[in-house]
Amino acid sequence: MHIDPLGKKWANITQFIASQFKGGDPIHIDPLEKKWTYIILAITGLFVAIIMIDALFHKINPPSHVETIDSARLHLSEEFAEDNLGVQVDGKGNVMVRIVAGRYGFYPKQVTVPSGTPLTFRWASMDVIHGIHLPMTNMNTMILPGYVAELKTDFPKPGNYPLLCNEYCGMGHDHMWASITVVAKEHWAAPVKTTSKGGSSHE
Amino acid sequence: MSQLSEEEREKIIKSPPVGTWALMLIVSAGMVAAWLFLYYGVFLPRGAIDSL
Repeated sequence: MHIDPLGKKWANITQFIASQFKGGDPIHIDPLEKKWTYIILAITGLFVAIIMIDALFHKINPPSHVETIDSARLHLSEEFAEDNLGVQVDGKGNVMVRIVAGRYGFYPKQVTVPSGTPLTFRWASMDVIHGIHLPMTNMNTMILPGYVAELKTDFPKPGNYPLLCNEYCGMGHDHMWASITVVAKEHWAAPVKTTSKGGSSHE
Repeated sequence: MSQLSEEEREKIIKSPPVGTWALMLIVSAGMVAAWLFLYYGVFLPRGAIDSL
């Protein structure tokens, strides 16, 4: 005789859920506990609905840029070659920041950007999965080897922002940090190409 | 030891659990308020990550 334990278990679960809605009582659940369950489900539904509405109608989404790159040959790539890292301003005045993450540092270690200005950050990993997190800002994403992580943001307030790796990447993970200095827009001068060259996090 | 009579005990058991309901409402309202504050007061004001 064929026995299907998984199918039987599933049947029992569905039967149990159905009986709860029909008012049956195969397993006694205290009415107060049931009400508490409904409240929790309602609260969870509310939170999910708010997140879904913002995601669908206001485009509040996690970074999802998909662009591939050969992580083993970053130094030979045109974009992420050492001389091309750091802050650059293109002909249209867009500020672009390119940073490479590798065990255990960010290259360059420090960049200076203007406040209140749209910034495009492009990140690439030279080895394993890294993450970036700038506390008190919206900068938070993963950097996957083989992909370019791109996000647009701006910093409304000048200050020194610590940049931390928030994805465990090895024994030196807790030493992997950099900083972003945000200066007032009027005090910021666009750097000449290659001004911010790759410094090490180990200095 | 409890000094309640059997009648009083029975009455308490059969009465609605007002304290429990109050606790549930306080915990629920607190949790919802804290979540809404973090979402609308902290997370959204930092701006959306505008990825291409």
